[in-house]
Amino acid sequence: MADITDTCASMVTSTKGKKESAKEHKKRLKYYSASQWTLIWWRFRRHRAAMVAAAVLIFMALLGIFAEFVAPYGPTSRDTKYLDGAPQVPLFCDQNGCSWRPFVHGVSTKRDPVTLRAISVPDPEKRVYLTFFAQGEKTELLGFIPSKTHFFLLDDKRAKLHLWGTDDLGRDVFSRTIYATRTSLSIGVIGVLISFVLALIIGGVAGYAGGWVDNIIQRVTEVIRVVPIIPLYMGLAAAMPKEWSTTEVYFAMTLILGFFGWPTLARRIRSQLLSIRSEDYVVAARLAGARPLRIISQHMLPSFTSFIIVDLVISFPYMILSETALSFVGLGLRPPTVSWGVLLQQAQSVRVIEQTPWLFIPAIFVVLAVLAFTVVGDGLRDAADPYSDAR
Amino acid sequence: MLKVENLSISFRTDEGLITPVQDIAFEVQPGRTLGIVGESGSGKSISTKALMQLLPGNGIISSEAKILYTDKSGKTRDINRLGKKGRAIRHIRGGEIGMIFQEPMASFSPVYTIGNQMVEAIRLHRNVGRKDARRIAVEMLDKVGISNPEARVDQYPHEMSGGMRQRAMIALALSAGPALLIADEPTTALDVTIQAQVLELMRNLQRDLSMGMIFITHDLGVISHIADDVAVMYLGTIVERGPTDKVIHEPAHPYTQGLIKALPSVDRLHDRLTPIPGDIPSPNDRPTGCPFHTRCTKVIAGLCDQHQPQILQVGEDHTVRCFLHEKQQRASA
Amino acid sequence: MLRFTLERLVGMIVTMVLVSMMVFLIMEIPPGDYADRYAFRKYSGTGIAITEADIEAIRHDFGLDKPMALRYVDWIGNIVLHGDFGQAFAFETDVTKVIGDKVWLTMAILFGTLLLTYLIAIPIGIYAAVRRASFADYGLTIFSYLGLALPNFLLALILLYFVNLWFGADIGGLFSTGMSDAPWSFAKAWDLIKHLWLPAFVLAWSAVAYQIQTIRATMSDELNKLSVTAARARGVPETKLLIKYPARLAINPVVSTIGFDVNRIFSELPIVAVVLGLTELGELLLNAYLDLDMYVAGAILLMLTFVIVLMNFISDLLLAWLDPRIKLGSN
Ligand SMILES: Nc1ncnc2c1ncn2[C@@H]1O[C@H](COP(=O)(O)OP(=O)(O)O)[C@@H](O)[C@H]1O
Ligand SMILES: [Mg+2]
Repeated sequence: MADITDTCASMVTSTKGKKESAKEHKKRLKYYSASQWTLIWWRFRRHRAAMVAAAVLIFMALLGIFAEFVAPYGPTSRDTKYLDGAPQVPLFCDQNGCSWRPFVHGVSTKRDPVTLRAISVPDPEKRVYLTFFAQGEKTELLGFIPSKTHFFLLDDKRAKLHLWGTDDLGRDVFSRTIYATRTSLSIGVIGVLISFVLALIIGGVAGYAGGWVDNIIQRVTEVIRVVPIIPLYMGLAAAMPKEWSTTEVYFAMTLILGFFGWPTLARRIRSQLLSIRSEDYVVAARLAGARPLRIISQHMLPSFTSFIIVDLVISFPYMILSETALSFVGLGLRPPTVSWGVLLQQAQSVRVIEQTPWLFIPAIFVVLAVLAFTVVGDGLRDAADPYSDAR
Repeated sequence: MLKVENLSISFRTDEGLITPVQDIAFEVQPGRTLGIVGESGSGKSISTKALMQLLPGNGIISSEAKILYTDKSGKTRDINRLGKKGRAIRHIRGGEIGMIFQEPMASFSPVYTIGNQMVEAIRLHRNVGRKDARRIAVEMLDKVGISNPEARVDQYPHEMSGGMRQRAMIALALSAGPALLIADEPTTALDVTIQAQVLELMRNLQRDLSMGMIFITHDLGVISHIADDVAVMYLGTIVERGPTDKVIHEPAHPYTQGLIKALPSVDRLHDRLTPIPGDIPSPNDRPTGCPFHTRCTKVIAGLCDQHQPQILQVGEDHTVRCFLHEKQQRASA
Repeated sequence: MLRFTLERLVGMIVTMVLVSMMVFLIMEIPPGDYADRYAFRKYSGTGIAITEADIEAIRHDFGLDKPMALRYVDWIGNIVLHGDFGQAFAFETDVTKVIGDKVWLTMAILFGTLLLTYLIAIPIGIYAAVRRASFADYGLTIFSYLGLALPNFLLALILLYFVNLWFGADIGGLFSTGMSDAPWSFAKAWDLIKHLWLPAFVLAWSAVAYQIQTIRATMSDELNKLSVTAARARGVPETKLLIKYPARLAINPVVSTIGFDVNRIFSELPIVAVVLGLTELGELLLNAYLDLDMYVAGAILLMLTFVIVLMNFISDLLLAWLDPRIKLGSN
């Protein structure tokens, strides 16, 4: 496929009067007759950074979807023997030689000579090996398939492996981050979908109706655009009753995020609709008596779907950052739900960074996800409209 | 006053190095007008930009090119040796050679008044104060036929009509007192009636100020009105050069002949115009041999498509690049 | 110009009226009303049993038994006519008292941040456009992606960590210990400025990243304009040329997005305030939300939005002043 795009591109740019072979001719025909989507895909594939970013996103999504399998322990399971514990790095070699199977050193509990508190210290003489596809805690894959299989565990069932350490309650940061990935990404997806539907309706009505309807909608849009968005979200999130269950809070959050995410996209849809409203094929459909909804969905929308998709992708980072920020200050999702923001709530002070820096690991996920969405969005925009920016 | 030799211009592009202007030579005499005519894309604009070192960053002037300019004090310098920056080239830009562009709107900055931009140019090249500069600006606007120049001088470009803007642009270029004026299709963007007025204005100004002028156009009809000499460009080479009368009445190159046949004229009103067949090839893909051979009706197979013709003298000051004349000359010799 | 100003002024007032309605709605959303919360706060733990009737009495005292529309009119009327934003129960005093000089601290942070943003972003954006496709340009592109991706509360934490590491403690907050309650003096103002740079830098972070990209793009467009070549052809020296022609126009989109930047700064303020321990409106807003102290929250939300709308208005006027073509459009 890659060579097709390349040869085609070079054929288009240089019109060398050479005779082309039958094979080349076929390729060229394919290029000319390729659909809009195929062309966008071809152009997107050449954007190397965007391809890498897309791979990162897919990887994250897979982690989130199969969290029960990837995470060795549940998000709230505690390991009381390993509180505020440092990350454990699987080794192949130690002072007693090497092994083919990765292992970690066992932990033994001692009393702190001064405070007399129980502390855990690694015991370099004890080896605990990793096993893959091992049987462990009971979970439900995808939320409904009962399973005990985890991607990796320690073969000594009494010991636990904490790849990225534990928090003050002895909960496994790696497992929690994986579960949080699912929550944060899914909130983004649902939030974006809600705001997409709203934008479609609001922008569609404004752009199709025009006139005073449009005027009023523009005013309302303006209001939502001038109010600072996080304080606005915070106001709605603060209103959630304290006694709501985590599920209720979760859905309320997606609603809140989605509810104010529509203005940019609605504006885009409106202006696109206004500009093509008077185009011949739309006027023809209207004169032929087609119903408004049909005209919008059949004639007007398809002509700028690619822009809508780009805008949707670009709005993901805002959703994710908003959710993280809200949960970070305690106005978003609440424990025991885990999201990146909820996890980072534990890392609010400099003292935490000094003493247990691994609690900061979820931040890397946030940055990576936002970066990846932004790069994919840029790549898509360039692919959808190669002339948008003569970069 | 200006003598150009061996000028080739290349651009570094994503597709590699392209050379849209190849080995051209021409000359402008003081007080005379050289017309350069050619289809769009033939390299007229970049050739004249090269004269003032105004090519964009990816443009390269061949090192063997000579752009010899004799300034007002009688000193001759090679502009190709001056570089793109520095006092010497800045002195020539505007002060010695003025330039007018095709788009009068786009050549002004929209956020400054006409007067602001004129005063700036005047003070850069004449040793005068702000007040005097403004007086000169108003005089200049008056000279190019703008009514009520005292008020107009404080207007923004968007407050003027197209023809007025082009007059203001001419005033701007002339305000610094250049000895040579380069006008790059100054009338193309204007209405036909205004075109004629601006043309008339430029001819008169050139005579009054006894400037040298290079007038670029794609319209051979305009050339006969304004130019003393003419250079016909095709795909980055000058295919024919000579006094305007001679070139128009005894065109030596098949391309020039084609252009003249394509010209509407009163005595051939009822004949059909005969455009030159075919399209102008892309400059990144120049044909080998004579660049015109792909469209030439008199092409000599095996010669024109293989070899580059040399410059030949066909009359006094009249030269052409074409194998047809080489053959004739050999036959008559 | 006068007409243009009036038009914008009317638009601004209409927007503010709609905003105040929305803010009022948000104040009304939390379950229960002010009387419930007031009674709960005042009497819980005191052992005094309160009845529905007591609450009903409180409700009547505060005028909370009126229909919603009337309550809105009361609320906004008091604000507009008397500058009275209602009662804060957290401190049992007027909202205005609670807010106090926090408005000015917030403004100091806002303008400090804006100043820093433009001082950094404008020269760098212009530089990146002039040196297009150079090493520095690519570096800046990568930086601006990072700027957009790294949330500033995380940046704040990271900076705090390093500042602590290198300079020792006492860097968070807006004042040195002991200074915050001192009466205003030159020394106090100077102390504020010394503490301002960190929050300003953190809040400027994403705005800088965004503005660099905008300026770079407009500047690149402007550099390719014929008017620049034309000015060069008149012999204008290169530095003056860059400043007077393309850079002058590349500022326009910056000016037109001032309101947008203010919005972003206020949006991020509460979160950054938590991390940096700033005592200004953002932090107060967050605490008011957490306590459901809705008159305080409503007042702050309204004030912040008013500043944004005002800055939008100023940016419109500035833009009209900077770009003579705009006046033509409105007449
Ligand atoms: N900045 C540039 N980069 C690459 N090629 C260019 C550039 N400017 C001009 N060219 C090439 O030079 C050719 C001649 O351009 P130009 O001088 O503007 O033609 P004319 O003025 O005769 O219409 C163009 O067709 C184009 O291929
Ligand atoms: Mg041209």
